Amino acid sequence: MSLDRTTCEEAFRKLDDFLDRRLGADEMRIIEQHLEVCAACAREFTFAASLLEGIRSKLRQVSAPPDLLARISARIGLASRGPGGGDSSPSG
Amino acid sequence: MPDPAAVAAPRTAEFESLFASVVHSAYGVAVRFTHNRADAEDLVQEAALLALRGFDSFEPGTNFKAWFLRILTNCYFSTRRRERRRPTVDLDDTPDLYLQARAGQAGLIGEGADPAAALFDRLGAERVVEALNRLPEDYRVASILYFMEDLSYEEIARALGCPVGTVRSRLHRGRKMLQKTLWQVAEESGIVSHSSAQGDA
Repeated sequence: MSLDRTTCEEAFRKLDDFLDRRLGADEMRIIEQHLEVCAACAREFTFAASLLEGIRSKLRQVSAPPDLLARISARIGLASRGPGGGDSSPSG
Repeated sequence: MPDPAAVAAPRTAEFESLFASVVHSAYGVAVRFTHNRADAEDLVQEAALLALRGFDSFEPGTNFKAWFLRILTNCYFSTRRRERRRPTVDLDDTPDLYLQARAGQAGLIGEGADPAAALFDRLGAERVVEALNRLPEDYRVASILYFMEDLSYEEIARALGCPVGTVRSRLHRGRKMLQKTLWQVAEESGIVSHSSAQGDA
């Protein structure tokens, strides 16, 4: 695969869709192959992925009150009182 | 007031189980939407009541969390959207690779698989939230659903009632804006010096 300017521009144009896995299998593979041989694009993609992960992990640092499910269930007339009920996705 | 009897008992039990599985996730999203824990709990409660009443429209086997978050988002919009905040970032003036360039100038890019880790270690969660809150509301809400819950573009589109292409555009432009607001917050909080942003657009 050539490393001409167009290829780098094409890769960069698809950066967000690549990181979100919104490209088809062939396009994903083409970008992956380009990143294997183009250090500059690889740095950009790695930083972009790291940036998204940093934002994601910081925003998810929300601790829910332990009795949240019981309180809301009681208020809307549900019977749930499950100890530790609920998922634990937001943490911190 | 609550009328769980409006939903047949077996389905109420099903709702309880499903709601229990998403309540903490929904609360996390609600906290980011509202900026406030009390308002967030009210929002989740309001959404839960509506979801219970409308549970017959939930198709078993589909993604309950996405379905519930769509109701939560609609509740948020209907009750809070009139309190529009003024965004502090321009929509289209963020250059590509903005944060990478700024962090590089400030010596904040690390090696290895997580080069932005040093920057986020310094920023902390509160400042990242502050940066997010500077986005225009439509971009902020789409970003919250994306970052907090890994919803697909299609699920976010259903939650927002807009086309998938609009979601894609908001998320992609929102990322660029976030790079700018993250750096703004870093500067304002003294994490980086203003001099390291000379030449800013």
